[in-house]
Amino acid sequence: MAIPTVILKTEVLRKTFKVGFWGKQVTALEGLNLEVRQGEVFGFLGPNGAGKTTTLKMLMGLIYPTSGKAWLFGKDIGNAEAKARLGFLPESPYFYDYLTGIEFLQFYGHLFGLRGGSLHRRIDELLDLVGMTHARDLQLRKFSKGMLQRIGIAQALINDPELVVLDEPMSGLDPIGRKEIRDLILRLKETGKTIFFSSHILHDAELLCDRVSILVKGRLVAMGRISDLIGAASMQSIEAVVEGLGSDGLAQVRPLTIKVTVHGERALLVLNGQEQVDPILDKIRAAKAKLISLTPQNSSLEDLFMREVREQGGRA
Amino acid sequence: MKARQLHSKSQNLITWLLLSLLLCMTIMLQYQLQQREGHVQKLEQLRLLPRGEVLKPALLGYHHLGADIIWLKIIQVLGERIVGEKDYEWLYHALDVATTLDTKYIYAYDAGATVLAELAGRVDLSNQLLEKGLEPNPGSWRIPFVLGFNHFFHLGDHLRAADYMARAARVPGFPPAGPPPYVARLATRLYAQGQNPEVAIEFLEGMLQQTHEDWVRDQLERRKKRVTVERDLQTIERSVQRYIEKNGRNPLSLLDLVVNGVLTRMPIEPYGGEYRLNSKTGEVTSSTHAERMRVYRSSDAMAKKGDIE
Amino acid sequence: MIARIVSISLNTFRENLREKLLYNLLIFALLMIGSSILLSRLTLGDYHRLILDLGLASINIFGVLIAIFVGIGLVSKEIDKKTIYTIISKPVPRYAFLVGKYLGLVITLMANTVVMIIGLLVVLHVMDVPITVLLFKSLSLIFVELMVITAVALVFSTFTSSTLSAIFTLAIYVIGHLSADLKTFGEKMDTVGRGILSALYYIMPNLERFNLKGHVINHVDLSADDLLLTFAYGASYTVMLLVLASMIFQRRDFQ
Ligand SMILES: Nc1ncnc2c1ncn2[C@@H]1O[C@H](COP(=O)(O)OP(=O)(O)OP(=O)(O)O)[C@@H](O)[C@H]1O
Ligand SMILES: [Mg+2]
Repeated sequence: MAIPTVILKTEVLRKTFKVGFWGKQVTALEGLNLEVRQGEVFGFLGPNGAGKTTTLKMLMGLIYPTSGKAWLFGKDIGNAEAKARLGFLPESPYFYDYLTGIEFLQFYGHLFGLRGGSLHRRIDELLDLVGMTHARDLQLRKFSKGMLQRIGIAQALINDPELVVLDEPMSGLDPIGRKEIRDLILRLKETGKTIFFSSHILHDAELLCDRVSILVKGRLVAMGRISDLIGAASMQSIEAVVEGLGSDGLAQVRPLTIKVTVHGERALLVLNGQEQVDPILDKIRAAKAKLISLTPQNSSLEDLFMREVREQGGRA
Repeated sequence: MKARQLHSKSQNLITWLLLSLLLCMTIMLQYQLQQREGHVQKLEQLRLLPRGEVLKPALLGYHHLGADIIWLKIIQVLGERIVGEKDYEWLYHALDVATTLDTKYIYAYDAGATVLAELAGRVDLSNQLLEKGLEPNPGSWRIPFVLGFNHFFHLGDHLRAADYMARAARVPGFPPAGPPPYVARLATRLYAQGQNPEVAIEFLEGMLQQTHEDWVRDQLERRKKRVTVERDLQTIERSVQRYIEKNGRNPLSLLDLVVNGVLTRMPIEPYGGEYRLNSKTGEVTSSTHAERMRVYRSSDAMAKKGDIE
Repeated sequence: MIARIVSISLNTFRENLREKLLYNLLIFALLMIGSSILLSRLTLGDYHRLILDLGLASINIFGVLIAIFVGIGLVSKEIDKKTIYTIISKPVPRYAFLVGKYLGLVITLMANTVVMIIGLLVVLHVMDVPITVLLFKSLSLIFVELMVITAVALVFSTFTSSTLSAIFTLAIYVIGHLSADLKTFGEKMDTVGRGILSALYYIMPNLERFNLKGHVINHVDLSADDLLLTFAYGASYTVMLLVLASMIFQRRDFQ
């Protein structure tokens, strides 16, 4: 199998900000090493304030790294050639709101030196792609947040880029909107584009990404395929809901569970794996209680995420 | 990667070079323009000033600042020294505007009037400016003082000069704000002795103490030297008179006067020349200045052809 | 690259046209110019002078106000509103963005000045005041002054907030008109003071050079050489400021 080309790479990328009157140093990103390969959808995950936007802004040449290096298409960041092969959607985008949808896209097309009929065709295509054809002559000030997000994505695609960088493309969208953006990303992937997006909506990432990385407080805590990451942390659990266990019964089952939560007559028992199921069922029968449900819980990206964040938080 | 760094470094250097180059060019052009503009434009600026009464409301309460700025411009013109006859009209106009904007701008009255009288020879304009300042500035002794000065030196009217000096002396307060003691003394002497070189010298010394502008000081110093010559000549003439009364003949030399005791001390000619005595006529002259200053002669009989004021 | 700069400047022009302040100032300027007709009825004697005086002064002052108050937000607003993110992430060098913004405002100023000049010419025509070449020399230098002031506002706009830029630019405008006096002032000081003030004199823009209003009113011509030299001075100063602004802008983080 051919080794896939790395089109985005960072090497111990660091960024500190000076804040306040005295210029106190705040580290937003600490020595990030990252690789994004051609053709993949890469999720850049992390809780609020993890340093995702900071990283993307450095990659786009909007802020300068304090130390470390980064390359896009094998070129230093800020390189015009690399930028020409790139599309970027900023976090909660702000645009010139006095332009209409079509003028807006025209302006960005001109920045790539596109004009004339080919630009027109491209704009029509894009408006269709993001489902905004109806808003082509509407001023951006009259757009809803979801519409802005879409026209923003169209703007990022105007130059038919090889790499699309999206900062929180799904934030602020309703479930339908999120699904549409997800479909859009998958469609872009089909046309051979590489997509690098940041998010803290894990469900979306789980559905979309080939690989993810998790950033917490400026540090990379995990990177790889979702299945590998979850597998490595494999932790299957089983939940049982029982009614009428009574205090005696509870005392009996407690040693076999990880966690017990009682709601009046009912109790939620979390079991640590398959082996505990039979002994627990015996105890329930013995206590003449009623088993309501028994569900195996697949460990999700969310669990992984929560655990990493908790561990990092504990360490900090 | 290295190459890229080098590239951005050299780019950096180029922008710095470009910036310095442009700075040099700008400064050169600025200098060039300054060379060409010279004196004319500054005077023009004064000429362009609207009348004070018009300007004052337009300045929206910043008329004091306006007066300061105009004064700054006036100073520039004065510093040039090569002001022509007609240009003093504009100078007067500018001074008039400045003192209308700020009627208590004592310094503008004072220095402006001195310049008009001393350098421009326009006593009329000088007095006009000062008279305008008298009323709004009853607390200033300088304005009547300079008026007295003008009347004494330029108009030869020692009585009116004495009046102004008395007015200056009456201004309440003590030095440095109030009038110094010599003002009252001068007033008295003006009444008593009139156009006397001694009085003139004291006057000039008083004036010199208050004046800081170099070009005006030069002028005053020159005047003082000139009056000193006149004073010395008069002193010597009086000794010659006494000598004749005593000895019934003309003295043979100036030394004769000292030896005889009618002259206490041989005065030194301030221009570095010497005083000469014509033993036949008894006439005394300075080797540097042939003419005499008529204003200080006690009688018209002593006046001669070629006297100056 | 030129095509990109043009796109940015046209977009800036378009943005400026939405500025309400612009229209308020323009209307006010036209009213001032027009009011000279009424005033000239009131004054006896030289009303030519009054009309020219008021007209040139209005064009100048309102041009400067537009240059400053639109110029200060030119770049800082883009950074505040984060609209710059999508532009800098495109293959547009930062200097090109800056030059584009600058030219955009220059186009705006040009349009405004043309409107005001037309207003003045109409008034002059109606009142039978002769229209001279000197008048156009003066108007062209007023425009050069506006270009310099816009560049000053742009420099401040690249590193401070709008309010501070406005204050700094106004300060430079005032100093620029007094810089000749600064030098004279310095000549009366000790060596250090003189050094500092004459350095200031050469570094600060000497905006009095662009002031021919007095010439027009008093019919004092300016030679073609002097005019050319003054143009060269304004151009060189402007380009210098643009390079300086680019250097500052190149180094900064957009946070
Ligand atoms: N301009 C700045 N000045 C000072 N600190 C900053 C600046 N920008 C970001 N930070 C800090 O850097 C850290 C990372 O911020 P960043 O915006 O990159 O987080 P994020 O991962 O994008 O978060 P979110 O999910 O909320 O968008 C935060 O602690 C933030 O306070
Ligand atoms: Mg963010």
